[in-house]
Amino acid sequence: MSEPVNIRQIAPGTKIALVDGALAEVVSNPADGVWVFARYLSSPDDPARVGSEDMIFAQDILEIRDSSE
Amino acid sequence: MATTRISGYRPGLVDLAAGQISREIFVNDEIYREELERVFARAWLFVGHESQIPSPGDFFVSSMGEESVILCRDRAHKVHVFLNSCRHRGMKVCRYDEGNAAVLTCPYHGWSYSTDGRLVGVPYFREAYHGTLDRSAWGLVEVAQSYLYKGTVWATWDPAAPPFLEYLGDFLPYIDLTLDSWDGSDGGTEILCGIQKWRVPCNWKFPAENFSGDSYHNISHRSVDLVGIGPSGSGRRDMPELNMARKLHIAFPERGHQTTSYLLPREAAPPPAYQQSSVVSDYFRECEEARRRKRGDWGRMITLVGETFPNTAYLARQPRTLAAWHPRGAHETEVWRWFLVDKSAPAEVKDFLRDYYIRYSGPGGMTEQDDMENWNYAHSASRGTIARRYPYSYEQGLGAEVENYEWEGFRVPGTVCDLTQAKSSEHNLRNFYRRWAEFMAAGSWDELMHWRRPARAEAAE
Repeated sequence: MSEPVNIRQIAPGTKIALVDGALAEVVSNPADGVWVFARYLSSPDDPARVGSEDMIFAQDILEIRDSSE
Repeated sequence: MATTRISGYRPGLVDLAAGQISREIFVNDEIYREELERVFARAWLFVGHESQIPSPGDFFVSSMGEESVILCRDRAHKVHVFLNSCRHRGMKVCRYDEGNAAVLTCPYHGWSYSTDGRLVGVPYFREAYHGTLDRSAWGLVEVAQSYLYKGTVWATWDPAAPPFLEYLGDFLPYIDLTLDSWDGSDGGTEILCGIQKWRVPCNWKFPAENFSGDSYHNISHRSVDLVGIGPSGSGRRDMPELNMARKLHIAFPERGHQTTSYLLPREAAPPPAYQQSSVVSDYFRECEEARRRKRGDWGRMITLVGETFPNTAYLARQPRTLAAWHPRGAHETEVWRWFLVDKSAPAEVKDFLRDYYIRYSGPGGMTEQDDMENWNYAHSASRGTIARRYPYSYEQGLGAEVENYEWEGFRVPGTVCDLTQAKSSEHNLRNFYRRWAEFMAAGSWDELMHWRRPARAEAAE
């Protein structure tokens, strides 16, 4: 099980892996510790989401990925 | 008026013909609960000042009655007033006094709202709600009406309330005397620094009555006068022109607003003031000359204090402030005081005024401390079983008010009681309680808008 991510420290441009297997890039961070705004880069469960922006809930973030991925 | 068993508001507790008001309306918990519904859920209330939220995402947590509300500016620069309570389980969405946020996130379960109030973030929306929750139906609760007036923000929960300017009626120019720039230009004031907040153990109507124009309690400020906290180091204020003016109680019976104002003679020149600083003195002399040129006869009017029904007070000059008396139960009031300055004033003028304002007003202000002591002990000494059997006296100036008051060519709007010789009256205080009793008795706004009745009768014919 991954360590909880402190999402308040995630900078725009950071890539994040989500618990449903999706990968997204953070667009902005209100630093409220609950949400980040991110754009989907991949989404195996729902490919239609790729390219769209959404609010990502902290508990849906699995881990931070290297920006080279 | 022995009213020992009051289970709620009853007509007769406010006896204006006799000039007597029962202590029950100040100390009775059930009357207080009715007040929240009948007064604070209906009336227009002052929420804050636009200069507190200049940028998109700025928010300021304010109060309407006992309700916490969020004053915020959305991404499109529109100003909103929302109930500060999450629609999911009621948690305070904003727990900071002020700040800036892209979204307003409830810390309990994470429901999040955009700054225009829409519910935009629901944790596990797809999983737990199966994507079926109608987010458009669960946005923040917004006030029924809001209005921006010369920087001030007002709101009401009641969709049936008249529009804000109609609510004020002919009282509007007296508010302008606080909100306009010192040189008479429209608006142009801003909040100086932050606001001061503190609690006083008294019913909210004690300060509301005081600022309606209690001209009788000056003796309790005698020590302040002797100390000399005024801008020029003597008295409380630096306004010698008042000695040549008519001192007036001016009330608006249909609206419940009132002011103590001074009407200057037509040819009076502004006397020197703020003599301890040439920059400040020059600024006010030039502004005052400009104000009198621009405003004509209204330039002769100087407002001292005023109260917009129910709980917003003004000091138009020396100091220049707005105050809200937020009820926190029948026996406690949270006072919020905003200090106003001309936005374009030189920094030295603002600094000078800040020093003077805090000497005068707020929890550390010497004049306000006198007032608080009076309200505090008057309230506590009125709560007892025996004490509450005996009404307060409001008989000063009964029958002495006139309509169409005119002096040196200026007809003063409102009903007027001239205090120049009388020294004091309770005309304004009776006006406040008249309106309070009407709000408490009325079933709806329809019954409160007396001024619309002739038009309705004509329409019916």
